[in-house]
Amino acid sequence: MFLLPKGNPLFENLAATKLKLPEVMTKLSSGGFTGYASFVFQNSTTILVFESGKLISVLLEQTNGARQSGFEAIANLAELMVTSSSGALNVYKLSKDLTMCIHALLQGEILYKAQELKLIDIKALLEKIKTDQLNGCLRIYTEDRSAMIFYKAGNPLGFFHDGSQDIETSSTESQKIAGMPGAKIDLYATQSVEELMGLDLLEVTNIQKIWETAVARHQAEIEKLSREREERDKKSTALKLMELEEQVKAIVTEYVGKVGRGIVDKEIGDRGGNACLIDEVGSAAFLAGIERAAKLLISSTNIRQMMEKLNQTILMAKTEI
Amino acid sequence: MEQLFELFAQINPIDLIQLIFWGLAGAVSFYFSIGNARVWTSISIGFFLIFLSQAYAINPWVHYYKLSAFHYIIGTVAIMVITHGFLEYYVFCRTFEISGKKIVVFVSTLLILIASGVFLIVNPTPSPNTIRNIRMIENAIWVFLSIMNIELIRKVYVAIKDSAISKGFIAFGVVFVCIFLWKGSELYLQIFQWDKDWQDIIAIMTEETSDIDQYPMRVMISQTVNKYAGLLSGFSVGGTFIYIYRLLK
Repeated sequence: MFLLPKGNPLFENLAATKLKLPEVMTKLSSGGFTGYASFVFQNSTTILVFESGKLISVLLEQTNGARQSGFEAIANLAELMVTSSSGALNVYKLSKDLTMCIHALLQGEILYKAQELKLIDIKALLEKIKTDQLNGCLRIYTEDRSAMIFYKAGNPLGFFHDGSQDIETSSTESQKIAGMPGAKIDLYATQSVEELMGLDLLEVTNIQKIWETAVARHQAEIEKLSREREERDKKSTALKLMELEEQVKAIVTEYVGKVGRGIVDKEIGDRGGNACLIDEVGSAAFLAGIERAAKLLISSTNIRQMMEKLNQTILMAKTEI
Repeated sequence: MEQLFELFAQINPIDLIQLIFWGLAGAVSFYFSIGNARVWTSISIGFFLIFLSQAYAINPWVHYYKLSAFHYIIGTVAIMVITHGFLEYYVFCRTFEISGKKIVVFVSTLLILIASGVFLIVNPTPSPNTIRNIRMIENAIWVFLSIMNIELIRKVYVAIKDSAISKGFIAFGVVFVCIFLWKGSELYLQIFQWDKDWQDIIAIMTEETSDIDQYPMRVMISQTVNKYAGLLSGFSVGGTFIYIYRLLK
């Protein structure tokens, strides 16, 4: 994502996931805000450019370089705000002219793209910008450095380069980068401020609806995941309970004989299923039932041993399940 | 006291030994019922009641006909309570259901005995013939319920044969075979009117004659079986309870 001049910061590092997009939009729009808002998430950044409260451009760029704009970008932003665990909102107030240049940089018409500087007559290009009274941005960059020159009606508004916080009046850095081997340029043009004022994405986009859809989708996703997890947990618990039931049957059968299985089945059945084995009250009642039945079949010494084994097995299972 | 010694002197030694065995069996079974489940309470109370029913031999007031009849009624109640116990055990083996309280068994048995006593009190004094009839009914009930109990015990054994207590049920099976022979032989004599009671009755009270002299061998065999099977019954009951007590401790 481009580094943009910060101008006058209104808010920085607000927790984006705690905000509601329609409220943010309304606040910026109704306040006649000019500048840009950036939503920074782990894998993407979204820039919303406002001119006098009108949303003139939206650009979402992912860390892998993929870009989205307009409605698609807004929808994805809403999605990110709802689903992300962390994110930050920064709001920077800029002049109308600079905002226009930011718009040009983000969504303007591309006149040149990745043109090697040594193949271009830079003086002629700068002359052309002046004579065409271009509104836009010239970006000069190498592999690891970049600088931007913003133009209004062909005249430079200021210079901005990575590492700086705001617009500068000195062109030294830009010239330095331009002199580097392998330097390239991009040239973006845009309409004038007056023409841009005719655009307002907020008028053609139902932010509230987009937000509600994102929230509903996220809610549905959470519910689905929760249901799936519940199902998984249920299955896993049922499996563990079955294993425990078999262990209990094996212990009782070992001491009581084959009728032991029937006794366990009956005691479990009386208590509404094998879930009683891990329930505090249920397991106590179950063990009491087994002991009572065993008294008719085996010696008290064997009953003691059997009950100890059963208690240990059930206790272990309780900690696992 | 003198009367009691006189009474002992009159008792047949075999009957006395049998009574002592039943006394021991009754004591063991009653003790066994104290610390065990309700099912065992029915069975052991039943066997304890056999001792009471047999105790007429040493009862100094047995010449009171109503009391004599009461001994036989106790005997009938005994086998019914025992059968109830085995039936409950069988139900447990099939359904693993254990319900009810011990106190209900004690109280119910007591109420039945009281009701029987009241029945005897409110009715005319039974004649020796009536007492014999009551004794015959007792024996008939014992014979048929013994067969039923042997079948119940067989089924219980099949259900629990790999349990520690299963051998105890084989012992109970032996007990009921002995009881069947003991009571069955007496019933046989009664049905053909070869029993001592009938001989006494016809000797004193009727003009009837008996054909007992025509079948001396049958009578002798039945009387011998009755004596020794009775002896073995008492002995086997005591032994069985001691054996089961050891199995369950």
